[in-house]
Amino acid sequence: MAQVHEHAPAAFTDKAIPGTEKEAVDAAAPHNHDVTVIMGRTLPFPVYTVVFGILAAITIVEVIISELPEGTIGNILLIVLSLIKAVLVVAFYMHLREESPLYTAILVVPVVLVVIATLFLTSVPLGNY
Amino acid sequence: MTDTTLDHAHDDSHGHGSIAQQADNWKTAFWLYLASEVVIFSVLIAMFVLYRLEFPARIKEVHEAAGVLLVAINTFLLLTSSWAMVMGLHQMRKGDRAGLIRWFSIMCALGALFVGLQYVEYQTLANEGITLYSDSFGMRFYAPTAFHGFHVIVGVLWGLLVINHARKGGYSAERTIGIEVFGLYWHFVDVVWIVLFTVIYLI
Repeated sequence: MAQVHEHAPAAFTDKAIPGTEKEAVDAAAPHNHDVTVIMGRTLPFPVYTVVFGILAAITIVEVIISELPEGTIGNILLIVLSLIKAVLVVAFYMHLREESPLYTAILVVPVVLVVIATLFLTSVPLGNY
Repeated sequence: MTDTTLDHAHDDSHGHGSIAQQADNWKTAFWLYLASEVVIFSVLIAMFVLYRLEFPARIKEVHEAAGVLLVAINTFLLLTSSWAMVMGLHQMRKGDRAGLIRWFSIMCALGALFVGLQYVEYQTLANEGITLYSDSFGMRFYAPTAFHGFHVIVGVLWGLLVINHARKGGYSAERTIGIEVFGLYWHFVDVVWIVLFTVIYLI
């Protein structure tokens, strides 16, 4: 994933770690809350807008892939792209990247358990139940 | 539903800890609630996936009947509403209450539009003979999508309550926990749709 920083109040983004690029950027522009630095380039939008642009672009790609002849690679690509979108929303919009790892565990553990249960179910002949 | 205002989060006079601690408590409680939602939606999605593996031809028929355009538009509506929601929070954290109300109004309008288009989609499918009880596909399709639609309706109503509370001066740059908790809900609904969109409509 691209390295994204937003210049925003401390409570709103990752705390700057001493000696990191983020600390240097924050020190250089402490009052600019609506700019995103991504891979060294400064964009005149909040990080939320940049993420929205990425989500929209991925969705367009997904729709294009879905219109192509069906295949395993296309399906895997669609799943990967949707996972990327979900992670972006959870990390940036739900601020999970700034929160306690406990919240990540609360979210991930039930998903993993249900996936395991589903994998078990796939080994059972379904029929038309 | 969680108290939309969460006004008492700023009241430190009852000995329940600092503002930050109370905000953390609200967030922890709400994440636990979301975990229960994860289980419910995961089971519904798993049921669809198992059906999809067993009856791929039926899924292809439905895809051809429904098309992807309407659902793709709905996906953009929900993604945009999620962006509007977080931009509203962003504005409130800068002390711009009018900005919060403006962005949340957009969010609620997009959410309502999503529900309207979902109704149109259901009508289209019904005209194609795909209903809740038409065959074994019906329940597996309508259960997760309608349950999600119900969450969108709840979210729109909740968003309107947040707007109403903001109009009365209920939030400040330092006191946004009520908005944050609502944001967790709305973005979760968005994440669920991201998964449903791929699993049910694209694959």
